[in-house]
Amino acid sequence: MSETGKAAAHLVVENVSKRYGRKPVLEGVSFSLAPGEVYALAGPNGSGKTTLIRMITGLAFPTSGRVLMLGQNVHEGGYRARRYLGAVVEAPAAFYPYLTGRANLERLAWLSGIQGAAERIRDVLFQLELVAVADQPVAGYSLGQRQRLGLAAAILAQPRVLVLDEPTSGLDPDGIQKVHEILREQSAKGVAVLLSTHHLREVSAYTDRVGILGGGRLIDEVVMEGAAERYRLRVSEPDRALAVLQTLPFVEAAERKGEVIVARGPVDAIVAALVNDGHRVYEVTADYFDLYEYYRERIKYA
Amino acid sequence: MLKLIGWEIVKMLHLRSVRLGLAAAFVLPIIWTLAPGLKQVYGLVLVSGWQVPSLALLAGMEFLYPFLVAMAAAEVLGSEISMGTLKPLLLRPLSRTRFITAKLVAALAYPFVVLGVSLLAALFAGLPHGLGGFFGGTGLGEGGFAGVGFLGAGAAFAEVIRAYVFAALTLLPIAGLSLMFAVWFSSTTAAALGAIATVLLMRLLVAFPGLKPLLLTTYLDLYLHPTDWVIRLGLLFIYTLGFGMLAVMLFVRKDV
Repeated sequence: MSETGKAAAHLVVENVSKRYGRKPVLEGVSFSLAPGEVYALAGPNGSGKTTLIRMITGLAFPTSGRVLMLGQNVHEGGYRARRYLGAVVEAPAAFYPYLTGRANLERLAWLSGIQGAAERIRDVLFQLELVAVADQPVAGYSLGQRQRLGLAAAILAQPRVLVLDEPTSGLDPDGIQKVHEILREQSAKGVAVLLSTHHLREVSAYTDRVGILGGGRLIDEVVMEGAAERYRLRVSEPDRALAVLQTLPFVEAAERKGEVIVARGPVDAIVAALVNDGHRVYEVTADYFDLYEYYRERIKYA
Repeated sequence: MLKLIGWEIVKMLHLRSVRLGLAAAFVLPIIWTLAPGLKQVYGLVLVSGWQVPSLALLAGMEFLYPFLVAMAAAEVLGSEISMGTLKPLLLRPLSRTRFITAKLVAALAYPFVVLGVSLLAALFAGLPHGLGGFFGGTGLGEGGFAGVGFLGAGAAFAEVIRAYVFAALTLLPIAGLSLMFAVWFSSTTAAALGAIATVLLMRLLVAFPGLKPLLLTTYLDLYLHPTDWVIRLGLLFIYTLGFGMLAVMLFVRKDV
């Protein structure tokens, strides 16, 4: 990456390696995140995702390499670089159980030096739908409530880099949806979002890039540009429908995968064309499976 | 920094080991005044309430107070690790040096808190025996419990306060040592055991007379024999400072 690119990036991970004794855990990992970019880290258990996140957030120190957050070295530059950071590095997020959710956030807001903390705390509690339990001790919170409080704490200081380790772990479907909504919002505001996940299908819709870690190395990076333009369609007479789609100029690609057709192109026009041709369209879903399958293939041969 | 230290002290007072320790420190003097074997163990028949605080110190400084201090200082950091609250704190723009220094100050405050509670309980337990002047000694000054004649209430109070302050000061290196081990091992139990094992080992090392002046355990009875107290406290201060600085240095570059 050029020096100009580095300067523009919110987060730069540069040739980061970590060894415990003689055992390498991470080797020469490099990538960067531009403002508003969402980067998902994927990899099997033990691939080094959590270690990498601990190093990016300054909790652990690299054996070599460096991490820059808005140009400041997270490890050498001291704690000041973390004023740009919001993070949840453990699931469920941990809080003082004898304090209420609000009191926990008040203390974190104080440590972050947030001005007008009470109002900001009200906002994030509302955003994460925690107002009803805000004044109850965290000891009585469910796993999902604690996870959401963790995310509230992460966005509390209006960070410019958001780092989340398995943010949807332990959440119910509504909670998962809420997390995705917030990550999209943060990205739209220009926050660089880095998350580790095993749930590639969930995050494919809004992730810009996926880094695949295996054996402590970044073995591949997948750019997700246009991924949201692929759709899986379950229709009547799929063979004939496929033939129709292949003739349409606005359909960039179409192929049969088992009982479904995977097509790339504007979904409204595709569905309208099939209905006009007399097909019944039973189901339309965004196609995230290629990424998942690609990931599995890469991991298999890593 | 003061607010951070205040918060650390509040957090410390929520710790189970600290609450148990304070309860033990409160109960011990009360039980001791009721003990039927006082005469056999200490050759003492209580004639004044001013003798109860020294009983509590004599009994507690042998093992209980060092143990409580080691446990509390270890848990000041260990509880954050076991609850998982350490990482969220360190994700904030908070200097690690300031953070661990605040914890160190809280750990160093604990001996004063635990001995303060013990003193209050001892004075409370001593009330039935009276807290006026008496013929005899507090057990903490000249002549021990027998004393050297009449001892006024003010003089007795001064002896007791001095002894408790000295006792608390001699416990400071144990708090520093235990916190240092907590940083090193990232575990309350390992840290407390490490600190207690070190203290016990130092007690055994009295068999090496050359080492004796250097052992912090040599000065645990400073409250009873406050001769050369400036030099002795100076040495204990160096120990405390050394353990504290090691704790800070280890923590600043520690992987969490």
